[in-house]
Amino acid sequence: MIKSAQSKVEYLVTYIVWGLSILLLLSMIFLIYKMVGPGFSTIRWDYFLSEPLNSGRSGGISSILISTLLIVGVCLFVAIPIGLGTAIWLTEFTTSQSFLGQNIRRSLDILAGVPSIVFGLFGNALFCRYLGLGFSIISGGLTLACMVLPILIRSIEVGIRSIPSEHRFSASALGLSTFSQLYHLILPLAVPGIVVGLVLGIGRAVAETAALVFTSGYVDRMPSSISDSGRSLSVHIYDLSMNVPGGESNAYKSVFVILILLFFLNTLTMFLADRLLARKVMNE
Amino acid sequence: MKEKLTIQLIMALILFLPFNRVIASEQKLIITGSSTVAPLMLEIAKAFEKKNPGVRIDVQSGGSSRGLSDARSGLADIGMASRGLKPEESDLKNYVVALDGICIILNKNNPVVKLTDQQIIQIFKGEIKNWKQVGGLDAAITVVNKAEGRSTLELFEQYFKLKNSEIKASVVIGDNEQGIKTVSGNTNAIGYVSIGAAEYNVELGTPIKLLSMSGVLATTENIKLGLYPLSRPLNLVTKASPEGLQKKFIEFATSSEVNTLVQQQYFVPAKK
Repeated sequence: MIKSAQSKVEYLVTYIVWGLSILLLLSMIFLIYKMVGPGFSTIRWDYFLSEPLNSGRSGGISSILISTLLIVGVCLFVAIPIGLGTAIWLTEFTTSQSFLGQNIRRSLDILAGVPSIVFGLFGNALFCRYLGLGFSIISGGLTLACMVLPILIRSIEVGIRSIPSEHRFSASALGLSTFSQLYHLILPLAVPGIVVGLVLGIGRAVAETAALVFTSGYVDRMPSSISDSGRSLSVHIYDLSMNVPGGESNAYKSVFVILILLFFLNTLTMFLADRLLARKVMNE
Repeated sequence: MKEKLTIQLIMALILFLPFNRVIASEQKLIITGSSTVAPLMLEIAKAFEKKNPGVRIDVQSGGSSRGLSDARSGLADIGMASRGLKPEESDLKNYVVALDGICIILNKNNPVVKLTDQQIIQIFKGEIKNWKQVGGLDAAITVVNKAEGRSTLELFEQYFKLKNSEIKASVVIGDNEQGIKTVSGNTNAIGYVSIGAAEYNVELGTPIKLLSMSGVLATTENIKLGLYPLSRPLNLVTKASPEGLQKKFIEFATSSEVNTLVQQQYFVPAKK
């Protein structure tokens, strides 16, 4: 009697879990269909290769695509070393109970929840004005780095923490130096955490609008260097749908492009992380 | 080995990124402000750059108040504002580039030809629900409102002293084209769009009609003459009297040379 009641509950839980996953999947498919459908049917190759005309109503997005890649590139170039360093310090060089470590962690969690417009105004004040970088791709990238760092550090930290301490003990017992431990053991095992952090970080960086309007700016011409102002894809989509009458159809095309870009960047991240770090364990 | 090569390649790419390539003899202007004016100014700037090689004009958006404060603080050479200057802002100099006006549109087959401001307010608040109450057919009114964040919505609400939460909309639309399509396809709809876009569609034969506001016909001509009440100027703003490149650009942006560009953005040129 008791047993059958138990199994009923178990069936029910299974159904609920399945139901919820299917619901999520369906809403995802619906969203992608709604977003991609109108763009996909009208997009042509030259959309990727020409510059925007008539405020983006016609022409392509080549300059905007390049600006976006440069902004994300600057962001990752700065965020990855700082993020890895901080995460390693938090896990390996300080105890989880230490005063400093706890406070850094708490501030990171608060920073991760700060609205992006605040980062935008901060970036505008610090990078554009105080450091004199002006509206530029580098200002935008640095601002995004500030935004992405909390997520990146915390996910890498979780990744490193999930490594069983037995591994560390055996490494120490074998007389490995701190550096060798980090390079040969901790980092390769932390790859899943790093990948999660990077994927979330890139997602936030590519999707960002508010922080970039005030830092990398609105100019839609092809940037000739990273000290030029350049419009990102998300800013372009925002502008086309909010400020440009008749820009809707090109906004949908840009949405399609941004989804492809995210897919491409995420795949590349996983591939590179795999190549550069994960194989270390097997080689050595 | 292969991995090292990849890393070296990436490093080389980063190092050779032209970090600060300053082109000598290049002149640069920074324009910031209203997001309504920014798309138009971007096009004007491109036309100006084409006419004057070696000149670069960076247009940044961010809102009218930002444009005014940047012009005042000197962060921008020129500010953009999608409204007239207030008395306390009279220290700034302003130049009208274009005008923006909105009009109430009805379907051509709707027998109603006139609505008072009060009736319009009541219709959008949902207090008048049937065309019969304002002298039309016995049919429910379809209220077409703009999506939040639209500059036309802002101007409309400002003029009629309405809050967005008070408007009882049946349909919420994005751009002018969508508004015109909705009203032309529904005999009982009422909406408001940019006059430039509406006139253009009437010429094309779209079945809509433009209502007069307080007795003034909704035409681009009346906006230009300053008679039509529901309009606003799109301004360029400077701190002091413009000089050099600044002056040259303002002269270009306020000349009749930009009229086509202005009309392409559904605004009304300031000069004939």
